[in-house]
Amino acid sequence: MFSGRNLSFCAIGAAVLTSVFLAGVFVARPAIAQPMPIGGMGSVLDIGDEPGRISTEETVISDGPFARQMVFFRTTEAPGTVIIHTSERFLYIVQPKNRALRYGIGVGRDGFQWSGLVRISRKAEWPDWTPPAEMIQRQPYLPRFMAGGPGNPMGARALYLGETVYRIHGTNQPETIGSAVSSGCFRLANGDVIDLYARIPLGTKVVVRHGASI
Amino acid sequence: MSTEARAFAGVLFALTISFASAVSAGTLDTVRQRGTLACGVNQGLFGFAERNDKGVWSGFDVDFCRAVAAASLGDPDKVSFVPLSAAERFDALREGKIDLLSRNSTWTLEREADLSVLFAGITYHDGQSFMVMRKPDVTSALELDGSKVCVQTGTTSQANLADFFRANSMKYEERPFPTPADALKGLADGQCDVLTADQSALYAMRLELKKPSEAVILPDVISKEPLGPVTRADDPAWFNVVKWVNFALVNAEEVGVTSQNATEASGSTKPDVRRLVGVEGGLGKKLGLDDAWALRAVKSVGNYAEVYERNVGTKSRLGIPRGLNQLWSMGGILYAPPLR
Repeated sequence: MFSGRNLSFCAIGAAVLTSVFLAGVFVARPAIAQPMPIGGMGSVLDIGDEPGRISTEETVISDGPFARQMVFFRTTEAPGTVIIHTSERFLYIVQPKNRALRYGIGVGRDGFQWSGLVRISRKAEWPDWTPPAEMIQRQPYLPRFMAGGPGNPMGARALYLGETVYRIHGTNQPETIGSAVSSGCFRLANGDVIDLYARIPLGTKVVVRHGASI
Repeated sequence: MSTEARAFAGVLFALTISFASAVSAGTLDTVRQRGTLACGVNQGLFGFAERNDKGVWSGFDVDFCRAVAAASLGDPDKVSFVPLSAAERFDALREGKIDLLSRNSTWTLEREADLSVLFAGITYHDGQSFMVMRKPDVTSALELDGSKVCVQTGTTSQANLADFFRANSMKYEERPFPTPADALKGLADGQCDVLTADQSALYAMRLELKKPSEAVILPDVISKEPLGPVTRADDPAWFNVVKWVNFALVNAEEVGVTSQNATEASGSTKPDVRRLVGVEGGLGKKLGLDDAWALRAVKSVGNYAEVYERNVGTKSRLGIPRGLNQLWSMGGILYAPPLR
């Protein structure tokens, strides 16, 4: 039922991969592999991961439409809920009175594979990275393991989504914010993911939505 | 006859036809006989109607003209754009100089009741908002108590401003300016803490600041400025065509049909998609068009999201968040009746 190829790109470690089979109560729609919604992906920014490239905690998107900002947002979800719109490349934290704090994100291949309802199950600062085998096959130059730090493609923080392999994480490629990218799930610039991390407690409800597909 | 002479005679002939038919025939027939859609647009408004140095028009309102041309004439380029001032726009429509007005016009009761025109829907929900410099880190208009507010004199914005502060028991000092440019300078120079105008205008004004990222436009919208396309009131058939082109673009976004996948959408098994692209339902004929009308509109300019993002959203320099102009199911209030 699960296609390893489709699921493994944003996996940090094999331990997480096995836990996907426990996917349970919080997952509204199981993360089954399905055809890529072409409209949702748009043109994919096909750049490889760049382990070792430094991106600091201070890196935020400060200008343009993908800068963090308060926006009008009408929803029946309670304040504090996180809503991710993959086709728009935005993540929202719902605020009272029809507004939301909006962050620009980059959406990886796996981010488009799944939508549903989960809770934040774990949080980590400067997470380690163990690229899965499929990813190493595509990008043979990748290390087998990389300790967390400013040169790590997983970036400054990771927020794990329920029992799935999906996560919200940082990046050492901040220029990919606003794009569909080939790997990862939902990435934010390091400074922005740090801001998000501080606002989002464990157990926060996360809703992931795609645009419709034909 | 030389080619030029023949062409000239053809134009004369078409003009005669169109003059005669403006009275007797419907607008759709007139447009077809003429072979172009005469579309009234703004003389120049960043993101909504702009003409480049080659004379090519672009913008949110311009794309709506093209979508109607694609649906009714089969070609998004068969539009003659007629730049109009605010004062002359409704007369131009009533007198038949244009077939359609797509010029950031606010839908109000008075306009429909007094001017014999009909608004065919809302393409853009605008409204008055506030811009502040980032330093004080204000995130809501309700935190503006005691501030100095720059505003253009003689506008509805000035009256709305007074109403908003009174309704929320807040005090403010008004700094009135004769033009938007002066009001912006007032904010940049620190003569006021806040600038108020319609939200779309504020995003355009922000780009003129030395450091646009230092200014923040608050998400609060304190007035209703629903903008939409306008037709003459005496032609319900044409009014319907224009109205449903708008609905088709919104529905296309909702069901996931884009300019990129419009062709393959014909092979979809989803009834909503099939009716939209015209392989089921025979809806185009009911409007006096052919069944591929909506498919052509979406192929030409894209669905609502594509039109929005390209002209005023994330792919434009304006970068206006969708806000109210997001689908009803995605955080906004855009809701189009079904194509069936």
